[in-house]
Parts: sequence; C-alpha cells; structure tokens
Amino acid sequence: MMEVPATGAPARGAAIATRASATRRAWSRYRANPLAVVGLIWVFLFFLLGIIGPWVAPHGYAQTNYLMANHPPTWAYPMGTDSLGHDMFSEILFSIRFALEIAIFASLAAFTLGTVLGLWAGLQGGLVDTALMRVVDFFFAFPAYFLDLILVTKFGRGMGPIIFALAITGWAGYARLIRGLVLGMRDGEMVEAARALGSSPLHTAARYLFPNVVSNMLIALAFGIPGDLTVQAALSVVGMGLNPPLPSFGNMIAAAGGNILGYPWLLYWPAGIFAVTLLSFLFVADGLQEALNPKGGY
Amino acid sequence: MGLLRYLLKRLVSILGTISAVLALSYVLMHYAPGSFFSSANLASAMGTLKMENAHLYASYLRMFRDRYGLNLPLWRQVLEYVWHSLSFNFGNSFQNPSVPIMVQLRTAFPISAGLAFGSIVLALIIGFPLGVVAALHRNTWLDSVLTTLSMAGQAIPSFVLAVILVFVFGVWIPGVVPVNGWGTPANAVLPIVCLATGNVGVVTRYMRGSLIEALRQDYIRTAEAKGVPYRAVVWRHAMRNSLTALVTVIGPSFAFTVVGTVWVENIFSIPGLGTLLSGAFVNDDIPLAITSVFLLCLMVMGMNLLVDLSYALMNPRIRLE
Repeated sequence: MMEVPATGAPARGAAIATRASATRRAWSRYRANPLAVVGLIWVFLFFLLGIIGPWVAPHGYAQTNYLMANHPPTWAYPMGTDSLGHDMFSEILFSIRFALEIAIFASLAAFTLGTVLGLWAGLQGGLVDTALMRVVDFFFAFPAYFLDLILVTKFGRGMGPIIFALAITGWAGYARLIRGLVLGMRDGEMVEAARALGSSPLHTAARYLFPNVVSNMLIALAFGIPGDLTVQAALSVVGMGLNPPLPSFGNMIAAAGGNILGYPWLLYWPAGIFAVTLLSFLFVADGLQEALNPKGGY
Repeated sequence: MGLLRYLLKRLVSILGTISAVLALSYVLMHYAPGSFFSSANLASAMGTLKMENAHLYASYLRMFRDRYGLNLPLWRQVLEYVWHSLSFNFGNSFQNPSVPIMVQLRTAFPISAGLAFGSIVLALIIGFPLGVVAALHRNTWLDSVLTTLSMAGQAIPSFVLAVILVFVFGVWIPGVVPVNGWGTPANAVLPIVCLATGNVGVVTRYMRGSLIEALRQDYIRTAEAKGVPYRAVVWRHAMRNSLTALVTVIGPSFAFTVVGTVWVENIFSIPGLGTLLSGAFVNDDIPLAITSVFLLCLMVMGMNLLVDLSYALMNPRIRLE
C-alpha cells in the first residue's frame, strides 16, 4: 500500500514520487499475471463494443423480421435470428451497451454511497456507527437478490429501476469494507498528526484516509461490476429482468433455455460472450488484488 | 457469554431481520401504483375468474379484504401481516385462491432444500481434495490449473451453466441424464452439478489458502523438526485447523446456493420454491411471492446460525459474541 507523508511542500513532492513508483510497481506485478492481461484485453474490447455497438449494429434491437424468424446464421444475420426475427448480432451489441450502463451506474452509485457512509461511520463512531452498521447487517443477513426482485416488481423493469435496485442493495458491502479500514487507522499516528496540525475531519478523511483505502476500494469495485452484471441477468431468469424489447444477456440466455433443442445458435453467442466476459472481469479483479494488495487475499 | 444466551440473542436478531424484510416488502407493495391489494390487481392476478364466475370472484375478493385488513390503517395491516407470516399462517395466493399457500409450499420446499443441501455436500466432497492437492503442489502447474478452474467455476453463474448443460445433454449426448422435469433421482443430477460448481471453486480456493497458511505456522515446523513424517504433519496437524475454518465458508456459500436454486429450478422446470417464486413475481401474486422470499431467507439465516454455532463448538478459542 502506498505511504502518504503527513504535510509540507517537499513531502508532498515526495508523496507524488512514491505514488508514481507504487503505481508502476503495481502495474509490473499486474503484467506478470497472463490471465489478468488477457482478461483486461477482453474487458477493454467489451467496453469498446459497448461504446460503438449501437452505431455499428446492422439492425435495430426492436427490428423484427417474422419471415426470417429462428433462422440459422447467414451473411445478413451473422449470428442467426430469434423467434421474433431479431438479428442476434445486433441484439448482442445493444445488450453489451445496456448491460454495461446498468452495471457501471449501479456499481458507481453503490460505491459512492458506501464510501461516504462507511467513512462517516468509521470517523464519527458512536451512535452513527452503530446505527449504520445495523443497517449494513440487515443487508447481509439475507440474499440481496430477493430484495432486488421485490424492488424491481415495485418500481418496474426499466433501466432506471434496475440500477436503483442494484445500488440500494449494493452499497452495504463497500460501507462495511471502508469502515473497517478506517477504524484500523482512525486512532493511528497519521490521523493524530493531521489533527494536531489542525486538519478538519472532512479534510482528514479526504486527504489522509481515502488515499490509504483507495486501492482496497478499487479491488472491491472490480469485483462489484461483474457481480452487478450477473444479478441483472439473473433477474431475467425468473422473468423480472430488463423489459423487452430492450435486449439483455439474461433475456437471451433464459429464452435460449426454452428452445435450444431446435435453435442452438440462440445459445452459443449470448452464453459464450457473457461467460467469457464475467470470467475476464474476475481475472482483472483478481489481478488487481494481487497487484495492489499483494499481502492480502488468498 | 453462555451458549444458550448467544442462541437466544441470535434468534431474536433473526426474528427482527425477517420481520423487517416482511414489513418492508408489504409497505413497498402497498404503495405500488394502485396498490397490489386493489381490486384491479386482484382481478388481473385471478385471471378470467371474474368473467367466469362472478359470485366466486366476489367471495374471494371479500376473503382477501378480510385477510389483509384492507380497511385498517397501514401500520395495523403491516403488523398483522408480519404476525401471520411468522406464525406460518400464509393465507391463500391470488392466482390459486382456493388452495392455501401452505399446501403449495409443502411439496415445493423439500425439493429446493434438497437441491441446496445436496449441492453443498457435493461441493465439499469434490472441493476438499482438490484444495488439498493444490496446496501440497503449490506454485506448480497443477496448482495454477486448479486455481484457474476454481475461479472459472465461481465466475460462471449457475443459470448460464444450466443452459449450457441442457444443450450438452439435450443435443450432443442425449439420453444420458434428463434435462427437464422432476420425479426420478436422475432429474436431480444436472441441477445439483450446476449448483455445486461455484461452491467447488469456493471450497477449493479456501482449502488451498488455509492449508498453505497452516503449513507456515511454527507448530508445523516444530512437528517437522521432531521427526513427524510429512504426511502426518499435513493430515494430523495442519488439516485440523483448516477444517474448522472451512465451516465458515459454508454460510455464505449456502446463501449463494439458495439463490442459485431459484435460477436452476426455472431452467430445468423443477417444481420447487424457485419456480413457485418466479411464477408469483411474474403474475403479480404478491402473497405467494413474499412468502417464498420469506422461506428462502429463513433457510439462509437458519443455516448461518448453524454454521456459527458449529464453528464455536469446534473451536473453543472463538468466543461467542
């Protein structure tokens, strides 16, 4: 973990130098892990497809062609068509976009909320800490997926409600993590020195505590994004996922389960791409964990 | 603190959490557009009954009004709902108003519980030796293959695996195991394999990590120094601590598995709690939906309690708090 000296202009310069070399060391550790590098390449491609996908898709995601329904792959439909005559290739390109939007916005919202509340609980202690941790315990006591289901039933199956549901159930993990890290440092010499120099609690949190927990938080976020990808697809498995005609990996995989015996191409691409993507995200997260926090983890 | 007091404290906290889940669900559903307990929603959940038999429909409507105390203030409704659920008096479902929910659960619950427990046992049976092998061959090609495979097992959700297995055993090599339905022991094979795969990864990684950690301890060096054969050092000294720690993994794994049964049941068309739950959510059958969630959560919390208790019993150094 990087060391951040307490104060002073020269020390500040030194801090930047330390941080740069720490980043470089982390990067060289990351590169040494071939799976993490391969995963990163795929994740990068996935993001790229998510950004340009809607422009390069040959058909619209709601564009049907009943005459070509359940058609095997052809030049016009490189991944075949589904039972409504949607072009699977375009469906997948749009799915990548929507899946990424949901996962990233939900993870970032949960991350921000969890970080702020966790920092607050850890620094404030007392009643705030007790109350917040009770709420966190509540979220950990039962599988969050069920609360997601209830929230989606209540607020609808659009992008917004799904992001909201994932964020509401996702922040507790980040809050618990950062609170634990802050508690470990709160009474340490660094915070004492900062206080002695007149640093306000907010300044202490932002300037001294956050930089020391940021690598752990990044690792948690890297594990959180594939988690949100999985849960949003899993909502589709019980029929509560993103509302059609918006395409999603969950809908495609769940639909393929019903009729792959006749039309296997409906399964190959969505399930294959989805599985490879989750695996890549996990390799990246694991690589980050080893690179940023070589002492922790397995 | 005594075991009994700890048990009591945990039971109270479980009751509190589950009541909060029930109350929250009820309030959310109450404030849904038009309220789920309104005549319009009841009518849509009960399908065509309104047209077919207006008299029967009206009597069901009265039954639900009385049941949920819809003319009472909201806080009374919530209290009554929570109390009814906690005393396992679930009432009737919207879709199938003539049959109490309890009757529907009686066949569904054992199926889901059996799948969940079966897959945990299978995961332990497979994951434990794999983890030991990985730890004893650490930093070799065998270790990296096992570690990578177990990561892959954790990353691929059981519903994706389930769809792939349906394809493999339905199209490529049909006739080996059934890919659909319920009734014979063979029907349980694929769902249990799907559910176990993720946990095999968890158990393997955990076992590997904790055994490597245990082998680094001073008492292991002492045992080796005094001439205990390596095999005995591993099995008698290092393994004992790893095994106790393995119990703690089962709690989170079980929660994960219970959610997995919901997915897998839907894909393999198994008439368990998960299929009941998805049908209820899709058809706005709120009483059945919340009840299935309630039972699945109860299953998870009960298992967590068991895990904590057995951990405390196995390892007297851990003080219950």
